[in-house]
Formats: sequence, C-alpha cells, structure tokens
Amino acid sequence: MASSSSLSSTSVPSLMKDEKWRNWAELPSKLTSSILLRLGAIEILENAQKVCTSWHRVCKDPSMWRKIDIDNRNDRAAFKYNLESMCRHAVDRSQGGLVEIEIWYYGTNDLIKYIADRSSNLKSLGLVRCIPITDEGVAKAVSKVPLLEDLEVSYCLFSGESLRDIGRSCPNLKTLKLNRNPEFMFSNSGFDDNAIAIAGSMPELRRLQLLGNGLTNKGLNAILDGCPHLEHLDLRQCFNINLVGDLKKRCLERIKDLRHPNDSDYDSDDDSD
Amino acid sequence: MSSNKIVLTSSDGESFEVEEVVARKLQIVGHMIEDDCVINEIPLQNVTGDILSMVIEYCKTHVDEEESEEAQTKLKTWDKEFMKKFDLKTHLKIILAANYLNVKGLLDLVSQTIADNIKDYTPEKIREVFGVENDYTEEEEAEVRKENAWAFDEADTPKP
Repeated sequence: MASSSSLSSTSVPSLMKDEKWRNWAELPSKLTSSILLRLGAIEILENAQKVCTSWHRVCKDPSMWRKIDIDNRNDRAAFKYNLESMCRHAVDRSQGGLVEIEIWYYGTNDLIKYIADRSSNLKSLGLVRCIPITDEGVAKAVSKVPLLEDLEVSYCLFSGESLRDIGRSCPNLKTLKLNRNPEFMFSNSGFDDNAIAIAGSMPELRRLQLLGNGLTNKGLNAILDGCPHLEHLDLRQCFNINLVGDLKKRCLERIKDLRHPNDSDYDSDDDSD
Repeated sequence: MSSNKIVLTSSDGESFEVEEVVARKLQIVGHMIEDDCVINEIPLQNVTGDILSMVIEYCKTHVDEEESEEAQTKLKTWDKEFMKKFDLKTHLKIILAANYLNVKGLLDLVSQTIADNIKDYTPEKIREVFGVENDYTEEEEAEVRKENAWAFDEADTPKP
C-alpha cells in the first residue's frame, strides 16, 4: 500500500489520518449544516453563527431556514430578545423557502402578515397563545399561503366567516386545531357557526381539534358530512355536544381517533385539575 | 439471497464479515452490489476499523425496520444508549463515516446527538471543545453583531 506519500487526492477529510484531524471547521459544510439545522433559531443566531466564518456561511443559507423554531417555551434567556424582530430576520434568511413555523406567545397580526407575504411555500403554521392575534388577521395572512396544510391557532376566537375565508384560501388544509382560552370558554361561542363553516369549506381535513368549542350535535353532524376524510377528531371541552345514540355510533364508525367532550385530560396544557 | 456474506475491509486492514442485508444498509455498498461485479470483499478506504465496527453495529440493529410503535420506541432507546457510549470526537468521526458510507439513519442520529450536545454552548465554548479557530476579522464581527436587531439592550437605546 502507498505509504505516507504526498497523495493529495481529495479535499474530503480522510478518517485514515484522523489523529491529525481535529478542526471541526474542516467538516464538509453539508455535515455542518446537517448538525446546525437541528438547533433552534436562538442557538443558531446567538451562538453557532458566531463560531467562525464558515459556520456563518452555513447559517445564512436559506436551506437552514425551511423550518423556524424559536424555542421560548422554557428558556428564560428568550426574554432577553425581541422575538418578533428575530423571527422577521429568520424569515428573511429563508428567502421564500419557509415551510414550517410555530410561534409561541409573541405572534401578532403584523408578524404573520410579514411571514405570509414572504413564504408562499408555507405548509404548516402554528400560533400558540398569541393573545394579540385576531381571526381576521389569521384569515388575511393565510390567504397568501395557498399550500398550507396544517394550521393551529389557540386562544383566539373565530367567526364562521373567517373560517370560511381560510377554507377557501387553503384548499389543501388537512389539519386544523382551534383551542379556546380556557378562561373564555363559552363567551362568544357562536354555537354552530364554526362547525358549519368548517364543514362547508374544508373538505380535505384529516385532523380536527376543537377544544372548548360551542358546537352542538347539529354542527358535529355537519362536520361528519362535509369532511369525508376526517380520521382524528378531538372534541374535548365541547360541552354542548351530547354524544349518544346514532351520532355516537356514526362518530365511532367514521373516526379512527376520537376524543370525547368529557375526556378532560389536558395533555398539552398546564392546568390539570 | 440474504444469507450471502460480504466482507468489508477498513482503511487500516480490518475485515468484517456481514450478511448482505446488513451491508446493503451502507448505501455505498448497496450501489456496488447493484452495479453487479459479483463482489464478496469490499475495501472501504475512508473509514478505520474502529469506526466501521460501530457503523456495522448500528446497521445490524436497524436491519429490519419494523413499523410497530413498540419496535420504534425500542430502537429509539437503543439509538440513545448507543450514542451515549461515545465522546464528541468519536461522534465527529461517525458523522464523516456515515456520510461516506451513506447511511442516512445514522447520519441523522449523530447529527441530532451533536446538536443536542452543543445546544447550550457559547461560541467560545464551541470553539474550545472542537478546536475551531475564530477567523472573524474585527469588521466582520461587527457586521454580524449589527445584524442582531433582536437584542433588547441595543434596541433600547433612544432613537434620534
């Protein structure tokens, strides 16, 4: 075999001479990217990109920003930053390639408009407990993202009209999750207007979660009629529904995964009493 | 058939006899087999024996990807324990090997493991642990700092 001659064959670092290989900056950028895109946006922007210029280059590549995750759920450090401004910056870096984003707390109508205006490929939008957001704001924003498949909005009251607008704008919508703020459980619960709107405008739904919605048996029947592909249905806290008799039978036959109004385990919430 | 044995030889001359189904998990080998030329010994020049044996251990465990949830959870637990056995330097060797041998599952796993490990590191700590040089010029550093309009302390300065 060739001894240690001056064979400079490839630029890929060889594991043969791994004892000498200690500099991570020499990692092919494809691999650096494979690692760094698993970090959250805060870690990328505040730490990783400052390591060296080659990492900075990797962190600026739009492929790093197809999914934006600013993890501010448990991280106290997140209070140090203006997350809305950080999010806009991340969206700019995606250069139109953004596919998936989840926003906790810091979302506003302005921000989702900014995102939607620049992200025609968006497939998944999650707005969790963003108090300033309104249903009209959501409907307006998603009218720019026709490929949207998953939409989750919690702590925001929807009118039937807004839901119909959303259904019309996003014909591929497969997942819809609307969760009421438990403190306003039944205020403005327009009874079946949400259900009728969903039934009439979102025929491709596979997964529907309506936590604490005011719909009645009539609305539920409309949904079963209007959404023939529905497989997962979560009706927890929907106490206007009386799931008995034919309706119950129909649900059990049609829905693979059904959560009843009285299944009160808040698996994704903090108040479990 | 699947009982075929194939010998994989590392850059430092270590040989491993494995079942063809296991060897095929290394896509670089899979392609060689498809391109035919009845091979039963394959030299792999860019990976040493110690690392190759780890890759083979991974491929043996993942040889039949079962669909059931229980099997998936079990595999995930195994993956975690497997990664825990190695330090960061070894993780880096594994990621290069997984890339060269084209083992997608392992590449994802080790990328995630390294990401989890450096998650809370400052830039200084990352440089120290991995021996990366800070090659920013002062101007470039200032440029990067200017980008982050999201830091409150700077945004808080009164506007003209």
